Amino acid sequence: MNRIKVNRDLCMACLNCVLGCMIEHNEKGKGIYDLDLEDISNEGRNHIGLDKNKCPTPIICRHCEEPECMYTCMSGAMTKDRDTGMVAYDEKKCSSCFMCVMACPYGVLKADAVDRKVVLKCNMCNGREIPRCVENCPTGCLELGEEE
Amino acid sequence: MKMCKSADARLESYIASKNVETSFNRVEHQKIKCGFGQQGVCCRLCSNGPCRITPQSPKGVCGATADTIVGRNFLRAVASGAACYLHVVETTARNLKTVGERKGKIKGESTLDDLASLFEIEENDIHDRAIKVADRVLSDLYKPRNEKMELVEKMAYGPRFDKWKELNILPGGAKSEVFDAVVKTSTNLSSDPIDMLLHSLNLGISTGLYGLTLTNLLNDVMLGEPVIRMAPVGFKVIDEDYINIMITGHQHSVISHLQDRLIDEDIKKLAQGVGAKGFKLVGCTCVGQDLQLRGEHYQEVFSGHAGNNFTSEAIISTGAIDLIVSEFNCTLPGIEPIADEFMVDMICLDDVAKKANSEYINFTMDKDAEISEYIINKGFENYKNRRKKIAIDIPKDHGHDDVITGVSEKSLKAFLGNTWKPLIDLIAKGKIKGVAGVVGCSNLTAMGHDVFTVELTKELIKRDIIVLSAGCSSGGLENVGLMSPKAAEEAGDNLKAVCQALKIPPVLNFGPCLAIGRLEIVATELAEALNIDIPQLPLVLSAPQWLEEQALADGAFGLALGLPLHLAIPPFITGSKVVTETLTNSLKDITGGQLILEEDVKRAADRLEAIVLDRRKALGLEVEVGEIA
Repeated sequence: MNRIKVNRDLCMACLNCVLGCMIEHNEKGKGIYDLDLEDISNEGRNHIGLDKNKCPTPIICRHCEEPECMYTCMSGAMTKDRDTGMVAYDEKKCSSCFMCVMACPYGVLKADAVDRKVVLKCNMCNGREIPRCVENCPTGCLELGEEE
Repeated sequence: MKMCKSADARLESYIASKNVETSFNRVEHQKIKCGFGQQGVCCRLCSNGPCRITPQSPKGVCGATADTIVGRNFLRAVASGAACYLHVVETTARNLKTVGERKGKIKGESTLDDLASLFEIEENDIHDRAIKVADRVLSDLYKPRNEKMELVEKMAYGPRFDKWKELNILPGGAKSEVFDAVVKTSTNLSSDPIDMLLHSLNLGISTGLYGLTLTNLLNDVMLGEPVIRMAPVGFKVIDEDYINIMITGHQHSVISHLQDRLIDEDIKKLAQGVGAKGFKLVGCTCVGQDLQLRGEHYQEVFSGHAGNNFTSEAIISTGAIDLIVSEFNCTLPGIEPIADEFMVDMICLDDVAKKANSEYINFTMDKDAEISEYIINKGFENYKNRRKKIAIDIPKDHGHDDVITGVSEKSLKAFLGNTWKPLIDLIAKGKIKGVAGVVGCSNLTAMGHDVFTVELTKELIKRDIIVLSAGCSSGGLENVGLMSPKAAEEAGDNLKAVCQALKIPPVLNFGPCLAIGRLEIVATELAEALNIDIPQLPLVLSAPQWLEEQALADGAFGLALGLPLHLAIPPFITGSKVVTETLTNSLKDITGGQLILEEDVKRAADRLEAIVLDRRKALGLEVEVGEIA
């Protein structure tokens, strides 16, 4: 499957990938001017962290081959599609135990900031040809490519 | 090379045919924008930053909110824009003063007399009169902030002056107001978005009355008043048989000596010595628009207006330009490598527009003759050296021969019989539904080069709203034919009939962006004739493809005048609810103006038309049934 690949050396911590993610998941519209940057219900499903050398590092869901989030999910909300490779999350099945959040080796999963009820998880922009974070990356740090 | 679209199809195909990189190509590689920048919520004022506002980090390190950051960024941009236009009027007034002192040629005596009488200057000698007029302008610009400028009350429409006084936004010395706007927006100073918006309006007033209006009028004194006439536009105006000098900038009086000198017999003979027919000035950017506006006085030396700011790169790539003289913006950095490639030397006459590869000559009016000789010699030498080595490729099928130019507040009123009554009657009868100023710059991002401007203008004239234009928007509109009488065909039935009867186009060409000041005189005089205030007029503004900080200062003037102002791209404010709400809504109850942000052509036209219809209704004018929901 196509995965979002990260070339850390190119990350400038501009946060445009995070904005792109917020925009794509914003129910009020899909343009930058539809995004209220003061509304905490707008959250990225990715983030930029600093590594031990203080270098910026995009933290993006890897849709792992061996998805710890799925293995630890007791309600069946996390599933792996073996054809597409995507790890999907069904919030209706979620019991909000957040075992997935604790298990994720990349620290990308988190509970939503408003109600703390659901998990924010990358869905590869739901079939969008180029995920918004990749499209919004000005440096080429994020790329869409076949998994090796 | 990938490139953006242009409303001007022939220009687009010409650029596509050349292997020369221009802004049209580069914009394709700058498509990914920074969302924080777009919303105006990035702050770089201190070393704790840059800080950006996100839902998870709603304040900067210092505690600045989105409202504070946006307010500061906006006021800084308006202050820079105001500074640019104030620089232009300062240069213009200083030049007029020198002309007076050395008893030089006054081409627009009637404007000088009008200004002298407005400023209550009694002086019999024409040159002393010019000196005193210039001095009054300069002394206002140089006042400290706590001394109000004296000409504001004389220049402004009474009801507006009273409103500004009530709002406490009457400007002190214009340059000092800019200075303190910079202070106010520095690190850990003002955090009050409303105070900063009011300061922006204050700067808008000095931009409009001094930077725009007085620059026009002082230039009318020195360079001659606009006269309505027909002229050719587009690349077809470039004649390779001449030594061609392309001028870029906004300070037209800087080249006033040069443009007269170029057609002297000895200079023509000089050119003929190397096989050229003489010298020509090729119009580009606003200085070209202004030469076109005053074309009646420059028929021999001016070849015509070739195109607007983003056309300048392509004009050099025709190979027919021998020298570039710049004195202000819009002198794109992108012209530098093209000028090098085509062996075109660049001379800069004002260091505010110094280009990395240009030769700088510090222009002062007392040295104008000497500087003209230098420029002429440089053009001559360049022509001699480069013409055999450079291929000429001018798209002679680009442009139009029948553009109506020379429209100003005075020439238009004269055309109507020295009264606004015919226009007012046409509006009252609904033959013209209303007036829209589609003004300002050209950019490449609102649907492409001039695309939004042209499409919006077509929508408005289709709805019988007459369009007045000034700025690079004019350059785009005339190059696609909308300023030619034949464009009447594109107007709605009522406006079409008016245009055909008067033999005018539905889009009137006021020339450079500075002439936005002339449009605003028209608005003021219409309001005066009707005995109403400006916000009651069925008149709207749009700067759909605004580009730069100067446009924001112009816009602040429009808002201070109480006019609705549409922009297709938000001016980096939407990250602040206070700033956005104030400018787009509350301002209606403050100055009467309002900012309209709309990225869709039809919806923008709908909103502008709705305002026109509302205003008509409020004035008791006929509104067709069904027009207002």
